[in-house]
Amino acid sequence: MRIVIVGLGGIGSILSEKLARYLKHITDEQFNLIFMDGDDYETKNLVRQEFETYGNKAEVKAAEIFNKFEIPVKPYPYFINGDNIDAIIQGNDIVMLCVDNHKTRRLVSNYCSLLDNITLISGGNDFIDGNVQIYVRRNGQDITADLTTYHPEIKEPKDKSPEDMSCEELEKSEPQLYFTNLTVATIMCWAFYNIITKKKIGIGEVYFDIETMSVNSQLREPNKGE
Amino acid sequence: MAYKRESLENMTVNELKDICWDKDIKGVSKKPKVVIIDKIMEKYGAKERASITPAKSPAPMKGLSGEFESELTNPSGRTGDKTTTTIQVSCGASSGRFPVVGRTVREVSEFLKEILNVDSLSAGLVNGREVSSDYVLKSKDTLEFIKPSGRKG
Repeated sequence: MRIVIVGLGGIGSILSEKLARYLKHITDEQFNLIFMDGDDYETKNLVRQEFETYGNKAEVKAAEIFNKFEIPVKPYPYFINGDNIDAIIQGNDIVMLCVDNHKTRRLVSNYCSLLDNITLISGGNDFIDGNVQIYVRRNGQDITADLTTYHPEIKEPKDKSPEDMSCEELEKSEPQLYFTNLTVATIMCWAFYNIITKKKIGIGEVYFDIETMSVNSQLREPNKGE
Repeated sequence: MAYKRESLENMTVNELKDICWDKDIKGVSKKPKVVIIDKIMEKYGAKERASITPAKSPAPMKGLSGEFESELTNPSGRTGDKTTTTIQVSCGASSGRFPVVGRTVREVSEFLKEILNVDSLSAGLVNGREVSSDYVLKSKDTLEFIKPSGRKG
């Protein structure tokens, strides 16, 4: 089993350690862990991202996971794009997508829809709320909907991927809350656990709101149940 | 100052909250507009409240708003002697049971925009399927307005 974490920012840096601890101590599954992020960990990330040293996020976190859990991780210090995605994501992978833009979500979702067997768990958040989408594909059939079917903002994204952004745009980041990133990472762990313990996955999307302290799960039938 | 319900209904949620702030009325944060109005009317409602002119037509969800609180706090409860059928309506992490059987998706959307204080809602999904906004809700339906995905990470 290959587990690919794409994006190691606010969500991914938290998620990677939770998954590594689980994989090291709980599961007997054989696995390969792959981290991908072209961004560097900097002082400005300190308030909500979990790193111990500065440098490329994929490489730093891969080293930290090896030191803490003795799990080898293959780091790719690049942003995912149309040219490299087929080298990173393969059939039967579990992809944990923790990126900060809809354009990359669409790229990964569309690519996964070409594979016969894939699990894509994608998280995103605004300041106090967010959601996790679970796209499961088995034997060439969608079991749950891809990331775009119910979400026109992902199907026709108006934002840019990190590679399309200028340095000024990259510098300018919207405020985020550590607890919100943590909640997304936690719900992604719920989905991951259900997938690898072979429990039936029917839930396709989970929403949460920290302010109202509520969580709501939805089925997401492929093609909107038509 | 005594307020008339009709004039309060013409105000925005933020304007109503300003009144609550000035009058030291607590517990209105995140409350639907109709609840905020009720709280203001409890303390500062005009005496002619009983003879309020009925809302102008079509006032699509006026009847609903009166039952909203009781249905939320006691979803299977009775309103007077008549049991009200409610259905599950959700948007993002928010969900609740509302007496909207017989209403169209468009009417519920208009009502929820006010409750959730949002500019627009997606097309409705009834029982997981996309429907036209003219769809009339039936008992046992579930209605969802899709909230956009969180963008950051």
